[in-house]
Amino acid sequence: MVARIKSALTLWRVIVAIIFGAGIYATYVRFLVGFRASTNLSDQMPWGLWVGLGTLCGIGLSAAGFGISAAVYLLGMERYRPILRASILISFLGYMTVCVGYLYEIGLPWRFWHPIVMWNRASVLFDVCVCIMTYTTVLTFEFAPAVIEKLPWKRLRETILHFHRKILIGVVLAGVLLSSMHQSYLGGLYLIARGKVHPLWYSQYMHAMFYLSAIPAGLALVVMAIYLSMRSLNVHIDFSILSDCGRMIQLLLIVFVFFRVLDLVANGAWGYAFQRTSEAGYFWLEMALLPAIPIFLLSHQSVRSNPERLYWSCAIVVAGFMVNRLNVSINALQSAMGTHYVPKWTELASSVLVIAAGVIAFRYAVIHLDIFPKLPKAGAKPFTRWMSNGGLPAQA
Amino acid sequence: MATRKAMLIDIKLCIGCLSCETACKQLHGFSTDPEPTLSDTAFTVVESRGGKFVRKVCLHCEEPACSSACPVGAISKSGLGPVVYNADKCIGCRYCMLACPYSVPRYQWTKLAPFVKKCDLCAERIKAGGQPACTEACPVQASIFGNRDELMAAAWKRIRSDSSYVPRIYGLEEAGGASVFFVSDIPFENLGFKPAPTGNQPMPTLTASALGDSPKVVIMGGTILSALYWVTQRRREVALAEAEETDAPNKISDERS
Repeated sequence: MVARIKSALTLWRVIVAIIFGAGIYATYVRFLVGFRASTNLSDQMPWGLWVGLGTLCGIGLSAAGFGISAAVYLLGMERYRPILRASILISFLGYMTVCVGYLYEIGLPWRFWHPIVMWNRASVLFDVCVCIMTYTTVLTFEFAPAVIEKLPWKRLRETILHFHRKILIGVVLAGVLLSSMHQSYLGGLYLIARGKVHPLWYSQYMHAMFYLSAIPAGLALVVMAIYLSMRSLNVHIDFSILSDCGRMIQLLLIVFVFFRVLDLVANGAWGYAFQRTSEAGYFWLEMALLPAIPIFLLSHQSVRSNPERLYWSCAIVVAGFMVNRLNVSINALQSAMGTHYVPKWTELASSVLVIAAGVIAFRYAVIHLDIFPKLPKAGAKPFTRWMSNGGLPAQA
Repeated sequence: MATRKAMLIDIKLCIGCLSCETACKQLHGFSTDPEPTLSDTAFTVVESRGGKFVRKVCLHCEEPACSSACPVGAISKSGLGPVVYNADKCIGCRYCMLACPYSVPRYQWTKLAPFVKKCDLCAERIKAGGQPACTEACPVQASIFGNRDELMAAAWKRIRSDSSYVPRIYGLEEAGGASVFFVSDIPFENLGFKPAPTGNQPMPTLTASALGDSPKVVIMGGTILSALYWVTQRRREVALAEAEETDAPNKISDERS
């Protein structure tokens, strides 16, 4: 008995158990005791880690779904079809985590449906809510075939898939527009907080900055997820597709950093970067991690064609992206609000719980559904993982 | 339209007796212990700054940032002037707190069903023809209530007749104007009054341009994407037709042999 328990206790299972235990406790405190007990939020810092990590990073890192589906369906870049379904799955799960996180964030979660019926077109947050709700529906639709094709009833399956194919392009197009809108509006949320957001981040084009940074970061997360699937879930995919993603990420980061610096110079905010303030420190950390180091690393063929190096480069992009979003949502506000906010551990624990649930859902989806193209040769030797399969298109 | 009401706070006259604070707390049934700053049980406080007493209270902007920010339209500017909060609509997102340039709205962080709390200029009392509890309680006319245009004239009169006043009414033009005015004999900057982030422009203009672009983005983006899709499809068809053409002679020769 003891031996059996011992053999079931792997390191990852212990970690998952800790995450779930802490997260469930934090959830209990949030919903049954209240904000004061579960967060360090205050009147000076009404939005904290849940918005910064849960919503801003959650939506931003889920940007690949619309990017890859636009590339494949609308631009005809068939090369990326093998990773299309994985990107849509990641986006779908990302948006799911945000929808769940929304219930933690708002004070009266049982009123989550209010924005559907009570409209305020002047509010950026209203637009964000509506776009996210609609786009989550779009993602559900785009991902649905992966589940429907597993239905045991042939007639029903084919009828649904036939109908699905007919309206797919229209839905993809709507999805790209919706994503473009709310990815940028998340930055637009902070437009009204002029005077509160530090000049290193505030700009009248904040929404554009959010849009430009979300696409490379979303792609980077997809590369990371596929690399991990290849390592641990016996997934085989033409690695050169991921190398190309690396190049794409680099290009998109160059575009982002070009406009970011241009914007800083145009706003005359460049001088703040050289002051001895904590904001300047956070700014340089962000500049190093989000654009500078990855652009340098990804410019090397030896990095792009090596799975492990590519993975770590993408990890730096994702980390830099998270630093950027947390900078905007927390660090940029502190000095103007005259407060110092450090999230309570329960805030982090509940966010991590929701993210972990998403990761586990991804794992089970990859195992039980046809997320990646099936290769003719099953159970290939480890080193053949990285070999080209000739760009075999997946059915998506 | 009903006559716009307003409140005038005269920092020169204020003696810091806290009558306004106490009256407000009594009206709302809160404990009357003074609090250092605005809270969910203190909608106005008298702060001591630069040797003067400065009332903190919602300014009831003409075009409020909080109202434009609220996703469900729970905050609105009423015809009489107060910026009022509809607790039945609120979802508790707290975006109004982030949006307010004066950081006025407060939240009930300790409650399980928390709401936003702020001064509503005693909207119910003014609708019934009365005045806010704070102005009623003020013993020295440092806070007075009246019609907006008449109060504005009264404020200018005080400034003109007494040269010790700073020749400026704070709240007249800040962020598009407010319904609470301040006059003072000490420069406002020295009392902790910040210039409005948008100058004399209403706060909602900050988001209006970004939001106003969305129909354009949808139409332009939709057209461009549709065009790209059409090109992609066309290319595919052409490639398919070409492939068939090159295949055709082979097929015939196959049949012959």
